[in-house]
Amino acid sequence: MSKLDNYSSSAPDWRLSLQKNQKNTIKVIILFFLIYTAIGFIFDLYLYDSMHQPVNYSDLIHYSVVRANAPILPLSTVALYLVTFKIFPIATCVMLVIALFSLWITYAFHRGLMMLGTDYQEITADNAKSLEEKQLYNVVEEMKIASGLGFMPKIYIIDASYMNAFASGYSEKSALIAITRGLLNRLDRNELEAVIAHELSHIRHNDIRLILTAVVLSNLILIAFDIIFRSVLYGRRTRDNGLVFIIILIRFILPVITLLLMLYLSRTREFMADAGSVELMRSNEPLASALLKIHSDHTENQEAYNQQYSKTPHENVRRPSYFYSPQEAGITFLGSLNSLFSTHPSLEKRLKALGIVQNKT
Amino acid sequence: MNTTLVVILIIVAALFVWFVSIYNNLIHMIEAVRNNQKQIDIQLDRRFKVFESLIEVVKKYMDYEQSTLSKVVALRSKAVAASNAGDEKTRIEAENGISKIASGLNIVFEQYPDLKANQNALQLQEEIVNTENKLAFAKQALNDSIERYNATKKSLFESFVVALVPSKLDQNFVYWQLSEQTVADQEKYTVKL
Repeated sequence: MSKLDNYSSSAPDWRLSLQKNQKNTIKVIILFFLIYTAIGFIFDLYLYDSMHQPVNYSDLIHYSVVRANAPILPLSTVALYLVTFKIFPIATCVMLVIALFSLWITYAFHRGLMMLGTDYQEITADNAKSLEEKQLYNVVEEMKIASGLGFMPKIYIIDASYMNAFASGYSEKSALIAITRGLLNRLDRNELEAVIAHELSHIRHNDIRLILTAVVLSNLILIAFDIIFRSVLYGRRTRDNGLVFIIILIRFILPVITLLLMLYLSRTREFMADAGSVELMRSNEPLASALLKIHSDHTENQEAYNQQYSKTPHENVRRPSYFYSPQEAGITFLGSLNSLFSTHPSLEKRLKALGIVQNKT
Repeated sequence: MNTTLVVILIIVAALFVWFVSIYNNLIHMIEAVRNNQKQIDIQLDRRFKVFESLIEVVKKYMDYEQSTLSKVVALRSKAVAASNAGDEKTRIEAENGISKIASGLNIVFEQYPDLKANQNALQLQEEIVNTENKLAFAKQALNDSIERYNATKKSLFESFVVALVPSKLDQNFVYWQLSEQTVADQEKYTVKL
């Protein structure tokens, strides 16, 4: 009896799904960029606002400079000068440099981060010990050909009985895929291939790079804004105006906004990887069948898997990248976020996007 | 006066950058198509070698005719000759002939319990499945890359760039396909037990 017996399937338009999700991604990126610039702008406003003397030589021509009696530029003028670059927006530029540097460091040291704490072994063309392991290698090779990737990703099997998979790697050359023993044992060849296709799609869509960039940027935004906030709170040079109020307000809203944006981005890329899997397999049923199998396996073994997930160290690093989010089956990690915020779309939404609908009995 | 000049320069620079990026994009797509064409060659070659060794093994378990192996060898020579002569149609037909023999091999496994019980049999079956799959996916990848290239080169702004440098950017690739006769035959195919 197949998992899909209660469902009916229609041909999914994976091209449309890919386009739609790509557009959503671009919207998120633009929003992130705007927020980043806005924060830099506010930072600059605050910096120049609390200095009473002009900072450009050109300003000397317009204003006489006497320290204590220097006219105080109104906030709107400071804003105008910043936008037209009459005053150099030093905070924004420093933030930009820090961002580029942080991203470069993250890119350089990212390898190995994802496998932290797990019990794993690598599968190559020569060291497969069983038929399943050989099938795994073959399946990855088939999907590598279908997707036009230039390099074969490294394949790892994690010694765990829960069914899950993830992909990592900054570029095609450093790509890796890991699946658990539980997944390897319980999926048939087609379903395994569909899951691998989903993971390879993450790699070829550059999702890892995208999400990592967004994470670094949002962390920088929060750190930068924290600096402003503390200066406002403890500084003695601030004037009493609306700017202070705005800064305090944003301090509380900003983390929520960036978090929601990140999660939306993560869910969009998951939809895109599902569509990519359909594109490679030219069929939606193996992926749907795999999803249903994994979901029911997690629900049946909720207790046991809760233990396993939480006793593996550094799980939080892997959690957003998993093929299936254990949250869906009610398994949460210690210190995890509110379950309203999710990195993955729900099972029903994923099936619906794949064109699989539950039969009405 | 100064600002107008600057604005014009900026627009010209932007147009140039835009032109260059479209050109490069199209070149990459063309190379991807060529690579995928060669990938099919690689998979066909591999398939031939795998089947040679498979048939050697199967022969040991039964009186599997010598003729099968020589059939595969003959079809293969035909395919290579056709490929060298640029005759795609004959090549595809010959390779499809090999595919039919491959499916016959699978049925042989089912009929011989000694062979089936042998652990090696499962691995050999996996080899057959894997080989045919890789070939099919290589064809799929080729057609996908042709699709992306064709769609891009015919799009509105990209087509301007193509018209400017047609010798390098305007290629006519042929999708991997079956002849209409073959499609009709295969539509009529039913399994005979």
